[in-house]
Amino acid sequence: MTWNPTGWFFLDTYREGVITMRVSAVGVRTARPRAAVLLSLLVVALLAPSAPFAHTGTAQTRHDRAAADGEVTLRVGIQQEFDSLNPFLGFSLAATDVFRLIYPTLTTYAPEDFSVMPELATEWTSSPDKLTWTFRIRKGVSWSDGEPVTAADVVYTFERMMNDPAAATANGNYVDNFAEVHAPDARTVVIRTETPQATMRSIAVPIVPEHVWSGVDDVAGFANQRMPVVGSGPFVATEYRPQQYLTLEANEDFWRGPPTVDRLRFVNFENSDAAVQALRKGDIDVARELTPAQFDALDGARDIERVRGKGRRFYEIVLNPGATNSAGSPIGTGHPALRDVRVRRAIDHAVNRAELVDRVLGGYGTVGAGYLPPIFRRYYWSPPEEQRRSFSIEAANRALDEAGYPRGPDGIRRGPSGKPLDFEFVLHGDSATDALVGEFVKEWLARTGIRVRLLPVSDNQVNQRTTAGDFDMVVSGWSVNPDPDYVLRLQTCGARPDPGGGGLPDSFLCDRRYDELYRRQLTEFDESERVETVKRAQRRFHEMATGLILFYPNALEAYRADRFSGFLRQPAERGVITAQQGYWGYYRAEPTERARTAGGGGGYRSAALALGGALLLGGLVVAAVTVHRRRTAEHRE
Amino acid sequence: MTTGGPSADVRARRPSALAEGWRAYRNERGGVFGLAVLVLVVLLALSAPLLTDPAGLDVTRVEEAPLRPPGAGHWLGTDESGRSVLLLTWWGARVSLLVGSCAAALSMVIGTLVGVTAAHFGGWTDTVLLRLTDFFLVLPALVLAIALSTVLSRGVFTIVLAIGVTSWPQTARLVRAQTLTVQTRPYVERARALGGGHRHVLGRHVLPAVLPLVFATTTLTVASAIIAESTLSFLGLGDPSRISWGAMLKSAMDTGAVTAGAWWYLFPPGLGIAVVVLAFTLCGRSLETVLNPRLRGEGR
Repeated sequence: MTWNPTGWFFLDTYREGVITMRVSAVGVRTARPRAAVLLSLLVVALLAPSAPFAHTGTAQTRHDRAAADGEVTLRVGIQQEFDSLNPFLGFSLAATDVFRLIYPTLTTYAPEDFSVMPELATEWTSSPDKLTWTFRIRKGVSWSDGEPVTAADVVYTFERMMNDPAAATANGNYVDNFAEVHAPDARTVVIRTETPQATMRSIAVPIVPEHVWSGVDDVAGFANQRMPVVGSGPFVATEYRPQQYLTLEANEDFWRGPPTVDRLRFVNFENSDAAVQALRKGDIDVARELTPAQFDALDGARDIERVRGKGRRFYEIVLNPGATNSAGSPIGTGHPALRDVRVRRAIDHAVNRAELVDRVLGGYGTVGAGYLPPIFRRYYWSPPEEQRRSFSIEAANRALDEAGYPRGPDGIRRGPSGKPLDFEFVLHGDSATDALVGEFVKEWLARTGIRVRLLPVSDNQVNQRTTAGDFDMVVSGWSVNPDPDYVLRLQTCGARPDPGGGGLPDSFLCDRRYDELYRRQLTEFDESERVETVKRAQRRFHEMATGLILFYPNALEAYRADRFSGFLRQPAERGVITAQQGYWGYYRAEPTERARTAGGGGGYRSAALALGGALLLGGLVVAAVTVHRRRTAEHRE
Repeated sequence: MTTGGPSADVRARRPSALAEGWRAYRNERGGVFGLAVLVLVVLLALSAPLLTDPAGLDVTRVEEAPLRPPGAGHWLGTDESGRSVLLLTWWGARVSLLVGSCAAALSMVIGTLVGVTAAHFGGWTDTVLLRLTDFFLVLPALVLAIALSTVLSRGVFTIVLAIGVTSWPQTARLVRAQTLTVQTRPYVERARALGGGHRHVLGRHVLPAVLPLVFATTTLTVASAIIAESTLSFLGLGDPSRISWGAMLKSAMDTGAVTAGAWWYLFPPGLGIAVVVLAFTLCGRSLETVLNPRLRGEGR
């Protein structure tokens, strides 16, 4: 037999190939110029229309051309997508920020100090037993389609949330305890509650127009994207392109007076670097959620002012304590060892919060304590010395040894059933903070004999896994309202998901004593008593160690100082511009003279024009050359 | 004949053929350069645990300030947690090379199997396998890889699988074509006439004739697999417990290194990818030239 050792296998075929190639080359020559002209024309024709529209995808729309008439657009860069424009469903920061702008609420929070102040309700009284509340509805307020805002709309909104579980998704905590809502006349709303409810003066539920929403049968499936959205806030949502931008026009008839800007636009950015570049170029006016590196880099940048606000967010690691649904049956894939509170406390010992604030946040944050952030000074609780679980790997190791989790031959601890302590840590995939926190926690826990596998997934998957209990450890965090009821409720049994889905759980704590304290703070009207109870609830939460509050990050923002001289911040001392408890920052923005006279950032438009011009020019050159070649083809041959 | 190995004559010819191949390869200046770079990179990557202290990768143990520009203590600056970018790039090479070569090997195995089977058995088998190949060929590989790595659990081997499973169709097509030409050769016909079964013909005649080509293609596939790995890691689908060049680029983007002007964080991993891919491409092209006398003739 012969064996072809070197494989000269092309020898017998390639000659043929060369011949055909030559033939085809000759055959094509005459046809090429026409084909080239056609092709180039086709290319130009395909590309040309894109130039005028190029900017629609990048923050600009036809409105901006009107900016020369002295109209001001406030453009805010955001990195979060609107989870839903339906106020009954949306609970992301981006969405709730918009709801405050387009829908009225009964009351709102003052910009100076978060005190409760009138909004749609002008005054309110409660019965001596605190079970019946009467709200007077403001006169002369109308929806953006001209219909008046009446008590019937308020009643409709609350009743819908009470009767339709889907409508209770985002703000169900406010109406859980409602017995009856009715309107004796067009300007009076009477709410009767089962038990006294301390949050009655701060019901942050967006009120929707009955004449629009009564036609919506399936709230869960309603996107609320028909523009303009009928509302009654300082702005009206007029244009929405998912994952691109949301435009709101000023409501000139707003009862508090028209806003200082004519238009507000939220522009979506894929990552914060893109938003910062846009801010530097002047394509947006406000960038938020900056990373420490970006915040430092913008120091001293021309025409850019930085805002370091006290954050009202907490950042926590949830340890799955054995998730159950509202029927009490276990759900999810939590590790059995985490049901042991001693393991959870040992993990807490192995986390160095000060180091995280220093190295992950670059110092832009406060070390985590009980639960609620220090911006709300009254409710802030920090564990006293003897209860604090200070950072100590030795203490963590000792606690795990005592709890009966000996190390196996590979150095990994084993539970009573022999299952190794190997935890899956779910993180937000595109958050640099999460990635770093994950690295730190993984290394620290490795020293205590616990293996951590990092699992960065998309934001949606984080939410799904959290709700389904499919995690051992997961990063979580909530923005806290001045009234802490909302976030306190997240840890109760009532927040657990229904067997059929839905629900908004956080750490699946579901502890009898915590729930008791939660109920008491909700029914407590004596301010100092309530504060005391809230602090005791936080203490219980700390004891159970289902959620480890790592830190309260500062809100890092920056804005164009050449276009805006300032914003109404909340609170007055070290406050923020965006994502406030109210619409103040956007409503009372202070545009400069320059913003009024010059249009907002023509960057994209001129770039698009230049691109279009270059394409046309290129097309012409190609066409000219090919025509020339064709004419001289015979001579060249 | 079906059991014995190659004759003594052939066995003696093999080293000389290799030597001749190496002589031809040496004449390819680009190929030699690429090979030298590759050898250097592979040696460095392999020796990383010996020459460097992996403790420098542990975020809890580093003391350096974050995003420091290159300086005396850290030649390529530091990342957002104060780790040396040089160290990260060094260790990142390991994962990039590992995933690149494993994925290419996987794609080679699938591609060769499908290609040889389709060409050798023909008929129905050929039709079915070819349509399958076409299906994978028209499917955007990156999208499929993203889908696969999202569904499967995180890890290096998920990435290898995702890239390997999506990049074999080209190899399969190539191998099929080559097998078809080899099978028309008189010696294959003779082997058949003498009673050689499928196994004999494939194992003794077809595969050895096809393998050099497969080898050259694989070298090129490694390059694209490394890019694919970096892309997937950059999109956040990589193995989060290991440092790779793509993952470095991702964390640089996430921390806002671009805004902070931290070029030293973006440049080394990007350069690493470019150099290694270039080296593999140079080697692959040179191998093709060596194995294909037609290209060699035109090259001069």
